[in-house]
Amino acid sequence: MDNFAYLFAAYTAIFAAIFLYVMFIWNRQSRLDQELRALESKLAALTAASDDAPEPESEKSV
Amino acid sequence: MDKRLGNFLGAATLVLTAVSLWMVFAWVPTEAEQGIVQRIFYFHVPLAWVAFASFAIVAVAGIFYLWLGGQIWDDLGYAAAEIGMLFCTLMMVTGSLWAKPIWGTWWTWDSRLTTSFVLWLLYGGYLIMRAMLEESEQVARFAAVVGIVAALDVPVVIVSVRLWRTIHPAVLVTRQGGHGLEDPRMVVTLLVSITAFTLMFAWLLMTRLAVLRARTRSIELAKAIAMAEFRAGRA
Amino acid sequence: MTAFVAVLSKDLRLELRSGMSTIAMVALAMLVLVVLVFALNPGVARGPEAAAGALWIALVFAGMLGASRALLAENENACIRALLMSPIDRATLFAAKLAAAAIFMMVALAAGVVLTVLFFNLNFSGALVRLAPILVLGVIGFAALATLLAAISGRARGGELLLPLLIVPLFVPALIAGVRAAGAALSGAPMATARDWIGILIAFDVLFVTAGYLLFEHVIGEE
Repeated sequence: MDNFAYLFAAYTAIFAAIFLYVMFIWNRQSRLDQELRALESKLAALTAASDDAPEPESEKSV
Repeated sequence: MDKRLGNFLGAATLVLTAVSLWMVFAWVPTEAEQGIVQRIFYFHVPLAWVAFASFAIVAVAGIFYLWLGGQIWDDLGYAAAEIGMLFCTLMMVTGSLWAKPIWGTWWTWDSRLTTSFVLWLLYGGYLIMRAMLEESEQVARFAAVVGIVAALDVPVVIVSVRLWRTIHPAVLVTRQGGHGLEDPRMVVTLLVSITAFTLMFAWLLMTRLAVLRARTRSIELAKAIAMAEFRAGRA
Repeated sequence: MTAFVAVLSKDLRLELRSGMSTIAMVALAMLVLVVLVFALNPGVARGPEAAAGALWIALVFAGMLGASRALLAENENACIRALLMSPIDRATLFAAKLAAAAIFMMVALAAGVVLTVLFFNLNFSGALVRLAPILVLGVIGFAALATLLAAISGRARGGELLLPLLIVPLFVPALIAGVRAAGAALSGAPMATARDWIGILIAFDVLFVTAGYLLFEHVIGEE
């Protein structure tokens, strides 16, 4: 089994790198999901407070 | 819908990768000349294929962005460049680990290796640029232009590097016989692992795009909140 | 055409008055050559092949300096905004900027050639006449890339680093071809040996001048 170390290193490198990348993406995604939920609830609270001013119109007027 | 497709792709990737790993290590016969290390080939080639495909996607996404506009094209270019860079790096690492025992050197300025390296530099520059600049419409347009220009460069790089290497004597005269796949099982293994990596690429791309979309959404929400606060303050 | 001449002559006049970027580029080209002479073993840093390589290194570094300086000058006092507000179309603006950048680089490189002849034990001979078109082709290609891509470097915090990171990999094919062609020209080999390399240089120039001409409007303009 000569050169097995090279083969092993190659496959380890591939799966380690892809695994880390997936972890990185998932980490980002879950953090963003949290952030989005917080922002959405904040926005909902704000729009509920400011009576019935329709949102798209006020966006245009600014 | 998106979520279900993503889950399906993820599951299919997992299964096919496991199958191709089994094929590579247990099923396919060992190549006669190079021995066991030739098995790197079955993942090295799919890595190269995915890397080049994603760099092509960067350019196409750039063209569509400049032509039609739309955040999705910019996101697609960004995601494809990132994944392409990961796979290109892995391709060069595995290639290097294969070259050492077979060619006797980690690296040689062979035309294919040089071309891959120049591609790696090109898209590395693209990604560093995106990391350094804050997202804006102008930066997105600029990234699209860089993606297109990089793709235009590729054919010139290939021609010049090939000519460069034929004039200089190669360090290693023979290319390995790894492409003479004498056993049909080798071809099947290669095809299965290419399919596995293509699915993996699609899945990674979708997942990465979802993150980019979520980020765009959070910026929109933050703007809407600022707007609402402004209105509340005025009322 | 008149717009092209107007922008180009504006840039040339500006440079004639201060001369700053050309002087800086000449100085940098000289420094590169000096460093090479001392960095390489005297036995290696001799003759046409080494001289060709040294000249192209000088071209790349001087070009990068020129690109970032040209941008600096435009960003000062928001000159670029005035240019963009004028009714000049972007493609013409690209052509004028490219011409100006190429002229400054050629001046710097002419000084570089003289120094190279002295430093690398060459002769002032007909070989230099054959070298000139090769260097001009390289300068045009580099200036096209630099003009197209310089627009961002002003926007990033580390813009001076970003520009070479983008330009140098793109310039690799021209660099390979240019060094070989210049080596052939300087060593007095028959021009037929350099034909393929010159072909690559021409293709590179046509490709990126056209690309810049078409894409320039997208990199510059409204914030």
